[in-house]
Amino acid sequence: MVAQKITIEPVTRIEGHAKVTIRMNAGGKVDHAYLHVNEFRGFEKFCEGRMVFEMPLITPRICGICPVSHHLAAAKAGDDILGAPPPRPANLLRELMHMGQIVQSHGMHFFELAGPDLLLGFDSDPALRNVVGLLQANPDLTVKAVQLRKWGQEIIRILGGRRIHPNFAVPGGVNKALTQDERDTILAGYDDALATTMAAIGIMQGWAEANMEDIKKFGVFSTGYLGLVKGGNTLELYDGDIRLTSSTGKELEKFDPRNYLDYISEHVENWSYLKFPYYKKLGYPGGVYRVGPLGRLNNSDRMATPLADAELKKFKQLNDGKPVENTLHYHTARLIETVYAIENVKVLLQDADILSNDILNTCRDPKPSGVGVIEAPRGTLIHHYWMNQNQQIERVNLIVSTGHNNWAMSEAVDSVAKTYIPDAEHVTEGMLNRVEAAIRAHDPCLSCSTHAVGQMPIILEVRDSTDQLVKTITRD
Amino acid sequence: MKTLIYGYGNPDRQDDGVAWHVLHEIMKHYGLPVSDDLDVDFHDEERQMVYDFQLQLTPEIADDLDVYDRVCFIDAHTGAVPEEIHLEKVTANFQKSPLTHHLTAASLLSIADTLHHKVPETILVSVRGYEFGFAQSLSAATSSLTRQAADIIIKWLEEEHCIKSGDTNGFTNKT
Repeated sequence: MVAQKITIEPVTRIEGHAKVTIRMNAGGKVDHAYLHVNEFRGFEKFCEGRMVFEMPLITPRICGICPVSHHLAAAKAGDDILGAPPPRPANLLRELMHMGQIVQSHGMHFFELAGPDLLLGFDSDPALRNVVGLLQANPDLTVKAVQLRKWGQEIIRILGGRRIHPNFAVPGGVNKALTQDERDTILAGYDDALATTMAAIGIMQGWAEANMEDIKKFGVFSTGYLGLVKGGNTLELYDGDIRLTSSTGKELEKFDPRNYLDYISEHVENWSYLKFPYYKKLGYPGGVYRVGPLGRLNNSDRMATPLADAELKKFKQLNDGKPVENTLHYHTARLIETVYAIENVKVLLQDADILSNDILNTCRDPKPSGVGVIEAPRGTLIHHYWMNQNQQIERVNLIVSTGHNNWAMSEAVDSVAKTYIPDAEHVTEGMLNRVEAAIRAHDPCLSCSTHAVGQMPIILEVRDSTDQLVKTITRD
Repeated sequence: MKTLIYGYGNPDRQDDGVAWHVLHEIMKHYGLPVSDDLDVDFHDEERQMVYDFQLQLTPEIADDLDVYDRVCFIDAHTGAVPEEIHLEKVTANFQKSPLTHHLTAASLLSIADTLHHKVPETILVSVRGYEFGFAQSLSAATSSLTRQAADIIIKWLEEEHCIKSGDTNGFTNKT
């Protein structure tokens, strides 16, 4: 039999340009599956020559999906390079905005992207395996999910003053204090947001119990784990030390984010434009790690809010206290983080400093370079700037969340393809949907940010070893 | 009769943001104030028209569509669509999206229909994009189409829906 190649381009429901190639061997079985990311990395060059203080407004343009993460990481890098640590109230307000971003992004992912696969089934009719199908199957919860996302967006709007490219965080703090009315408006949505998310956790746990067989064979593999923590290895999303743990849960490193270059390096493969970060001391691929919700929960010993911490304890029992390696548990972890973010909104809003007008440090002690790190919904986001004496950017290094997970996504694609696709002649839509779901679990964002009509048809190609097209499957 | 004119795209990625420019052309036609701000959110109370611009369509928009009788979505398109300016009537039809966090207009109407059992009369006008780099300026080819696209939408508003033409000045209420 001639060796064949199946190509899925682009992968549905992930942001940006990606392609999956499933190469079949001469025996008709999956030999290897690859995730190719055709990411355009022109943004670092685009920033050169701009003023440092402009970066929180420029970098959100990288992506229309998670502009808040880039906005805050850029502001933190600005704090560092200009030597202007923000007053405590400003950090509280930035963290509050960040929680809004986590809630809207995680909430949307579960209910509108992952939910259809999980709640309606990987093999269900693709015409109904979407948010509308979900609405029809569970209208009450889905309507509440829309409200949950609105609440997260409203937090961002209240603080940012605008819905596109929020203008809020600046080096040294923020440019707007929170009013009491605004605080009360946000608090009014708290109970519903929490109830919706706790209901989703119940659904996810029920699904996991009913689909244990799938979970146990769907993209299960060992890696290290990386994310921010605070004291007591408490999960942190806004500011802390970077902790790296091994596949057995042992702490490998804990370091100031400014020193990330001492620990992290990037590998290049000739089949993807996206680099593969790894832990230097263990080399590539031995030092690969996962970030994002699964990485963060595996990397943390506790969470700072009670309901989320109780859920973390249950999560830790999924693999008897060892790191949870199952790709599908990204969804479980994402919901637990959503609970944390919602609870943390209340904690922040009840802080005595949250309405303070002490929101900007105008002192400056500039230095040649600065680093800002934040846990974006998808994982650790690193902004590193170098500037000249005029405070113009000379060089930028960005390691985006999806980049950290590049190896894991590729491994998950390969693993799921080998597990679920028996041979090239009997490929079903449900099998391919599982391959896509392996990527979607990581909620990647590939920095495309263009959405023009006609840009992205779905094409599946089967090619033989001479690259001749054997079979094409398209769908809307 | 309330009308929503809703543009979407990324103005920082050149022609992907052409809808913002078309939206401005329509607002200028009706004598409404425009600025360089990307965050367009304007209510013309005299004509019962709302102008909005976002980076993308998101599901929560569906929850707000029930107050409108007519909607015009404005987007960019690539060479996969043959016409330079494409107009189509949109009906509720959920389409599996190839992008995370991205909905088509038809999918959005489908969600709106499921949420409120009501779908406004809707058209989508898209303009051919040629360049999608990191810049706010349109390519010359796409820029030359913006006025034409605005005229198509204005004609739809005025001839099919009797919106008061743009030579009057009474309006406006910034929200």
